[in-house]
Amino acid sequence: MDLSLDASTLEFQAEVRSWLAAHVRPLSSMDTAEGFEEHRAWERLLASSRLSVVSWPEEFGGREASLLQWLVFEEEYHASGAPGRVSQNGIFLLAPTLFAHGTDEQRARILPAMARADEVWAQAWSEPEAGSDLASLRSTAVRRDGGWLLRGQKTWSSRAAFADRAFGLFRTGPGERHRGLTYLLFDLRAPGVAVRPTAQLDGEPGFAEIFLDDVFVPDRDVVGEPGDGWRVAMSTAGDERGLTLRSPGRFTAAATRLVELYRENPDPALRDRVVDAWIGAQAYRLHTFGALSQPLSGPAASVTKVFWSELDVALHETALDLLGEVAPGWRDGWLFSLAGPIYAGTNEIQRNVIAERLLGLPR
Amino acid sequence: MTPERLALRDAVRGLLDRHSDVRTAIEAPHGHDEDLWARLCDIGVLPIPEEYGGSGAGLPETHVALGELGRTLTPAPLLASTLASQALLASGNAEACARLLPRIAGGEIAALAWPWAAGDGVSVAPPDHPETTTAASEGPLEGSVRYVLDGDTAEILLVTDGVSLYEADPAGVTRSHTPAMDPTRRLATVRLTGGAATYLGPWSSRVRDIALAALSAEQVGAAARALELTVEYTKTRVQFGKPIGSFQALKHRMADLHVLVETARSASLAAVDEVSAAVAKVYCSEAFFKVAAEMVQMHGGIAITWEHDAHLYLKRAHGSGQLFGSPQVHLGRLARITRG
Repeated sequence: MDLSLDASTLEFQAEVRSWLAAHVRPLSSMDTAEGFEEHRAWERLLASSRLSVVSWPEEFGGREASLLQWLVFEEEYHASGAPGRVSQNGIFLLAPTLFAHGTDEQRARILPAMARADEVWAQAWSEPEAGSDLASLRSTAVRRDGGWLLRGQKTWSSRAAFADRAFGLFRTGPGERHRGLTYLLFDLRAPGVAVRPTAQLDGEPGFAEIFLDDVFVPDRDVVGEPGDGWRVAMSTAGDERGLTLRSPGRFTAAATRLVELYRENPDPALRDRVVDAWIGAQAYRLHTFGALSQPLSGPAASVTKVFWSELDVALHETALDLLGEVAPGWRDGWLFSLAGPIYAGTNEIQRNVIAERLLGLPR
Repeated sequence: MTPERLALRDAVRGLLDRHSDVRTAIEAPHGHDEDLWARLCDIGVLPIPEEYGGSGAGLPETHVALGELGRTLTPAPLLASTLASQALLASGNAEACARLLPRIAGGEIAALAWPWAAGDGVSVAPPDHPETTTAASEGPLEGSVRYVLDGDTAEILLVTDGVSLYEADPAGVTRSHTPAMDPTRRLATVRLTGGAATYLGPWSSRVRDIALAALSAEQVGAAARALELTVEYTKTRVQFGKPIGSFQALKHRMADLHVLVETARSASLAAVDEVSAAVAKVYCSEAFFKVAAEMVQMHGGIAITWEHDAHLYLKRAHGSGQLFGSPQVHLGRLARITRG
């Protein structure tokens, strides 16, 4: 496979690189009220140069960039040390669902506001009793004139502490488990919504519980058909598990930092682990280039999810062992990496998917 | 375990069940619960001979208590005061032992500034008045030592340059609390600014081995408890209509962790000399980290919260793995020793 970049991609790469060099600056943690708004402003700055959603159609704020150009953008983005994406739940999880299952009206109303971070989205999948077993969820949506009333509790809702809107699955019936679920969008500031931030292991409220008490949602905020929510959600679950949420640029940049760290703190006992982590990041990059010719299907995304999440932990643990007790610059990344094998479907569930749906092993 | 040590274990465990509150202790001025520390001293967990006012407990008894403190992650100056006591005893200075050990046995915190970390060091400066100095080791101390257990709150501060043991005059020392990854362990940086220090006697490298063995006892206690909590959680958390602990994807991993904890326990109990203490340090550090990391994964989202204790076990595992030298440092030592 020829991995060299064509002229227009090289030109795009140069533009992105110089733009980032001119604009990247450190921001406060996005899991604080002040830092959240700094990150929102950063998204707006990206959007002003049509860099917040490069792969989207132009009418929604994008540039219709190819998958290759998107990968290049991501590599440049992470290599520059640019801030985390406060809009990522919307851009990488909700938007693909709207492209696949939304209406023209929904796309026109929701996507441009998402691209400019006028609306920042949180996800609302898990419930206290429905984690790995998501299909056991119990929050309900009951029919009312012109819409639905939501009732129940959602948890581990990333960004919900400060976000504007959320998307999730609700039980509308009839049927149990995967049947009778509906994919709905709701306003986190609507009457009846209570958001309780949850401090993460770094002490900051990166996620929240959402309590819903007869929250009205108009019909226009149903995605796909009522009762078809599981299929709608799962058709794009691969986006969370696969490469759109965690592009290889994130890991190749971390691997480069790790190698630099080793140069500053050479410890022969850790040399092989540093090299292994670097190789892992390169392997993931090449694996995603393979997706250019053959898109990663649903279950194949489970392979990438296991790979990137465990690579991320290994990269950070190796850095920590190089740095010792205090570990400046890597501590928060390490703590966040620990959540990788848990969110977006635990790696235990991913291994079941790989075993049953890719290898055909009995359930 | 002997009946006496079992009784000691139960006494300490009962005390911690009733009184240990880790979250409150972390926020306390000295980073631990001073009443609880006084009660532990009353039980007699410090390895101080009766002739110096101690309970007569030996290191095996102290290890039992450290294991219990490790289980609950209770911050306490036991490890710090143990190392200082052992350094004093190893110095052979009966006067200093008679003067300082009864105070330590009574609960005064003693810290040992021991430059084990690369980049740290203590040196004896040339004396200002050589004509009145009687021994080469009598000069003022200079240097800096990081990661000193309870170093900023200790009432008695001992210092070693790797050759001799000194009692530092607090007037010639700058001490600062230096929070690291693990909030349950009080660490300080001690800067020696040339103040007077009293020479107590020779430093024994045996103190290093004692430190590694004592730390491994704490690590094993913490690892065992981390696994217990994980087993309990997976028995009660239901998904797909079953407790998640019934799934082999988790069950076999916990079985492997049990093997790891029990072999680590053996390594710790066997740590009595230079080689076995280094082995215990490496094995127990790696075992505890593995158990704590798996604790996080098997608890899922709840382990990513501040409220749940899983992150405290994980941070303790990282911090204790680095304390007194990382596993790779001691693997390097073992390679040199066993190569002969």
